[in-house]
Amino acid sequence: MKSPLKSQISRRSFIQITAGAAALTGLALPKVATAASDTSLSTLIDLSLCDGCADREIPACVSACKSINKDKIPPVADPIPEPWPRKTIEDWSKKQSVTDRLTPYNFIYVQKVEISEDDAKKTVFIPRRCMHCDNPPCATICPFSANHKKANSAVVINQNQCFGGAKCKDVCPWEIPQRQSGVGIYLHVLPGFMGNGVMYKCDLCHDRLVQGRAPGCIEACPRQALLIGPKKAIEEEARHRAAKMNGYIYGKDENGGTATLYVSPVSFEKLDAAMVKKPGQPDMKTSVQRRMQSTDPLGKAVLASPLLGVAAAGVLGWFSKRKEQLKKGEKDNV
Amino acid sequence: MSEKILAEKNLIVRHRRIELIEHWAIAISGLALLVTGIFELPVAKRYYIITVPGLGWSADFITSLYIHYAAALVFTAAGIFHLVYHGLRGERGLMPQKGDTAASIVVIKSLFGFGKEPPMHKYLPEQRLAYAGMVFIMLMLVISGLVKTYKNIYAPDMSLPVVLTATWVHNIFFILFFLAFLSHMGAIALRPNWPMIRGIFTGSVRLDYARHRHPLWVEEVEKAAAPRPTCAAPEEAAQMTEVVQESPPEPPEPA
Repeated sequence: MKSPLKSQISRRSFIQITAGAAALTGLALPKVATAASDTSLSTLIDLSLCDGCADREIPACVSACKSINKDKIPPVADPIPEPWPRKTIEDWSKKQSVTDRLTPYNFIYVQKVEISEDDAKKTVFIPRRCMHCDNPPCATICPFSANHKKANSAVVINQNQCFGGAKCKDVCPWEIPQRQSGVGIYLHVLPGFMGNGVMYKCDLCHDRLVQGRAPGCIEACPRQALLIGPKKAIEEEARHRAAKMNGYIYGKDENGGTATLYVSPVSFEKLDAAMVKKPGQPDMKTSVQRRMQSTDPLGKAVLASPLLGVAAAGVLGWFSKRKEQLKKGEKDNV
Repeated sequence: MSEKILAEKNLIVRHRRIELIEHWAIAISGLALLVTGIFELPVAKRYYIITVPGLGWSADFITSLYIHYAAALVFTAAGIFHLVYHGLRGERGLMPQKGDTAASIVVIKSLFGFGKEPPMHKYLPEQRLAYAGMVFIMLMLVISGLVKTYKNIYAPDMSLPVVLTATWVHNIFFILFFLAFLSHMGAIALRPNWPMIRGIFTGSVRLDYARHRHPLWVEEVEKAAAPRPTCAAPEEAAQMTEVVQESPPEPPEPA
C-alpha cells in the first residue's frame, strides 16, 4: 500500500517528469519505494525556471534545507581545541544565519550571476549544492569511509565517523564540503593532533529519500525548478528541456558524471566567466575531469596482481624444477 | 646460487637470488606503501610535511594514490609469488614449528644476556613466528586493499558494511604492519644479529658466525654436500663434493 509520503514524492517530483521525459522514454511512473532506496536517482535544476525566489528573503530551497538540518550539528565545544601544529579552526557556529554561501550550517545557496546577452543584461539564479557525483572522490578517498555513496546516488557523510580532516574538500572539484571545528569523534580521540571537526554538505535528504520523500529543496521549490527521479528519466528530461530551449546541460559529464543536471538557456562557460568566486561559492568550470580516473588503469593492474604473482610463480617454479631435474640427471649419468 | 659453503671465503650462502629479489621487492614496495598510506591521511599540510624539500607532492592525495597503487602492484604480486613459489617447492623452513614460542623466549632472553642461546637451525624460532605474523598482516592488507581498489574503480556505491570492514581492516593492519616493520628494524639493531645483515644484501653470511650461531643449519648443508655413495674411484668422488643442497632451501626472512 502506498503511504501518503510515497504519493507525495510521486506527485511533487515525478509527475513533471512523466509529463515530459517519461512520455519520451516510455517510462511509467516509478515505484517510489524502489526509487527511494535502490534505484539510482538524479536531480534536475532548470535555470530557466529558477528566479531565486525574488519575493522571499531567503530562497525557498535554502530555507527548507536550513529548517530540515537545523539540529544536525551538535553543540560546539567551548573552547574549540587548538589543533597542532597548524592552528586552523573553522567555526561557523556563530554565523549560522549565513545563506549566501556554503557553510557547515548551509548546504545550499542560490548564486546570482549577471550576464550580458545580445546587449541585454540578464540575471541567472543557480542553486548550488553537492553534485552527488557518480564516482565521488570525496567518498572513495575518505580514509575512514565516513563518506559513502548510496545506491540511490546520495553521497552521505556520517558525522559520527568523520574526523574533519577536510580531505573530501581537497579532492572535490567544487570544494563543496565545509568544516565545523569543535564537534565530532575527534574530540574523544586526540583533538590536538588528529582531526579537526566534521565535514558537512548536502546529503540529498537521504533520510527523507529512504522514507519515500523528496529532498526538502525540491519539495519546497515554488516554480518546480528542481526535480528528482530515476537517473535515466532525468537525463532524458534534461536533454529534452535543453533541446527545447536550445540550451546547455551541466553535470552530465563533469567529474566523471554526477546525479545533478543543470539545464540552462545560457552557456555554462559564460555563467562561469561571469561568476564571482569566493570561498564557499564554487565555480562552474565545464569539462571538469575526474582526477582519480588517471589512477584507474594502475588500480586495475593492482586487481590483476595476485594472478600475476601466481603466474610468475608457476612459470619460474617450473623452470627451476626442470633445471634441478636436468642437474640431477647429469649427476646420475656421471 | 643454492645454499653452499664457500670455505675459502669464510662464507655460507644463505639466500638464493630469487629470494633476495622477493625480499627487496616486498621491502621497498612495503615502505612506499607505508609512506603513501600515511600521506593518504590529511597530515601533510597540517604537519608541514609539504615544506620538506622533495615532499611538496605529499598533500596531493591523487599523486599519493598513484604511487600507492604502483607499490601495491609490486607488493601483492611479490607476496603472492613468494607464497605460491615456495609453497609449490615445499620450502617450509620459515613456517612456525611446535615449541617455537617457548624457544623464542629463551633466545630473546639470551640476546639480553640472560642464559645461553641454544644451537640454531637456519632460522631462529622467533623469526618463524614473526614470519607467520607478517604473512597474516600482509594478507589482510592485500585483501582489504583489493576490496578498496575495486570500490574506487568499479563500485563507489558498494555495500557500506563491506566498505567499512575493508577500510578498518586496512587501517588497523596498516598500524600492525608499521609496528612489524619497526620490530624488524629493531631486530637488526641487536648486536648478535648484525652478521645476518650482509646476508640479505649479498645472499651469504660469514661461515664462522654460522658455525657459532646456526650449527644445526651448517651441519645440514655439510650433510647435503657430502658425496653420495658411489662406485666411482675415490679421486673422482672427491671431485664431486661441491656442496649442493639436496633438500630445497627455505624462503627468505620476513621483510
